[in-house]
Amino acid sequence: MLELKHELKLDKSRDEKARMNFVSGLRAHVLNDMATGMRAVFDADVEPAFRRATGRAPTNGPEVHKSIKANEYFKFYSSLRVTAQDMVWQSVFPPLERNRPQLKDKAARLARRKKFGSLQLKEGFEVPRYVSAIDVHLMAGNYDGEYEAEDLAAGALYDNGLAVFSFGLMGQNLDDIGQSIAGFIRLKFPNLKPKKILDLGCTIGHNTGSWKDQFPEAEVHGIDVAAPCLRYAHARAQAQGREIHFHQMNAEQLDFPDASFDVVFSSMFLHEVPKKGIEKIIAEAYRVLKPGGLMLHMELPPNGQLSPYEAFYLDWDSAYNNEPFYKPFRDLDPQAVCARAGFKPKNFLQFVIPSVGWYGEKVWSEAATRPPEVDSDKTGRLTDGIMWYCFGAWK
Amino acid sequence: MSREPMRRTIRGGRPYFFADPAIDKILNMVVVLGSEVWTLRERLAAFEAIQVRQGGLAAGEIDAFDFSPEQEAKLAGERKEFIDSLFRILQEQVEEARGRSARATQTSSARVTQKSASRAKPATPTRRSSRAKPARKTAKRRR
Repeated sequence: MLELKHELKLDKSRDEKARMNFVSGLRAHVLNDMATGMRAVFDADVEPAFRRATGRAPTNGPEVHKSIKANEYFKFYSSLRVTAQDMVWQSVFPPLERNRPQLKDKAARLARRKKFGSLQLKEGFEVPRYVSAIDVHLMAGNYDGEYEAEDLAAGALYDNGLAVFSFGLMGQNLDDIGQSIAGFIRLKFPNLKPKKILDLGCTIGHNTGSWKDQFPEAEVHGIDVAAPCLRYAHARAQAQGREIHFHQMNAEQLDFPDASFDVVFSSMFLHEVPKKGIEKIIAEAYRVLKPGGLMLHMELPPNGQLSPYEAFYLDWDSAYNNEPFYKPFRDLDPQAVCARAGFKPKNFLQFVIPSVGWYGEKVWSEAATRPPEVDSDKTGRLTDGIMWYCFGAWK
Repeated sequence: MSREPMRRTIRGGRPYFFADPAIDKILNMVVVLGSEVWTLRERLAAFEAIQVRQGGLAAGEIDAFDFSPEQEAKLAGERKEFIDSLFRILQEQVEEARGRSARATQTSSARVTQKSASRAKPATPTRRSSRAKPARKTAKRRR
């Protein structure tokens, strides 16, 4: 199990740590070993049966899903994956519940410490229903659940849960996405000297901080709708000595003036928003970007770039992990979405970036010198040899 | 706002994959049990390592050991927690059923007593909505 490296780390007993270790190990088994096993079962049994019945191979993810649903291995894989997902959060609740008073005190102390960044919450802020009504990825309480005044427990649930969930594949500070991408952009575009950077749907700011690390001169802002995550994000950034400004805002309707940012970023965010919202968010990104600024979204790869089996594999979450907007997002054509928001098609860009944590600095930095790659069966899969997919556009 | 316990039950239920959802539930129990077996092994490994380091454990000493009545009582409490955790998946169904009964009582009777009103929210959230509506019903969800 990955231990958090900052002061908000929960005090856990030997047994609680062992339970977390078990869940991390279970997830690695399901997502690496069993996922490989399921592919073998598909190739050996499911696809041939489909061919016999239809005279052709499946042509898309839903056809693969339909054909594999009755297979016993798929059922065990899926049932165990749901169990493991639930156990991620269940392994955090007992130590978190016990630590809540101390966690609040620590956050209050961190807030009194030399101020690095800031936190702005809004009285009476309306959380959109696609957040307030769903326990996304089976996380009870979601990002915005509040159980006391000034609550930040949901942020701690997410931070500690991610540490168990990612079984080391999201970096020692859960910032592999931020570090891999912000660093890649710095190497790839040496002339880009951003003065202001915005991270949309930043939750606990785990990937926001990387932008400050890579561009120390820049003013870095993070926005989210969930107050408990933002309180936690602020305390976490304070603990890490990073100057980041967190605001409670809806990415569909930002309070920032036109042309005020050089970079607008998000990670693992758009797939948790319905299509209508995504269009508005991209349009808002266009509005707040300065001419010549860069919009970049780290996301799951679009279905259009994947084989039918890989599309099915990634869409599993949409069907079974309380991610209702995941498949609709992945069915979109990123270039068309950017064009509808006003970005010129010739200014569209997309990359598949090797994880710096997994591949190491050498392979990762060499990728910045090559033409952009997009197709890989590792893309977007939390598995050995992970690659992060990104799309965006210059304004 | 006082401090309420965090909600641990997933809104919108969970998907089941086998023809009989009981199989999914039993699989869940087996895995939770596996987790506890592993936890025990880690704890034992830690304990033995400490004992060996301190020279406090002789061969066969654990096999010959008996707990005191106080120690037995403490273990009984911990055993109860262990068993509750093993069958938590069934408790979810009970909590949902209680929630439904409480809602039914609230709607059928205009006069709700203070007592039943407080019972109406066992592990209920402080949220706008208590029911998630997935955009597509691709999963077979059963209770």
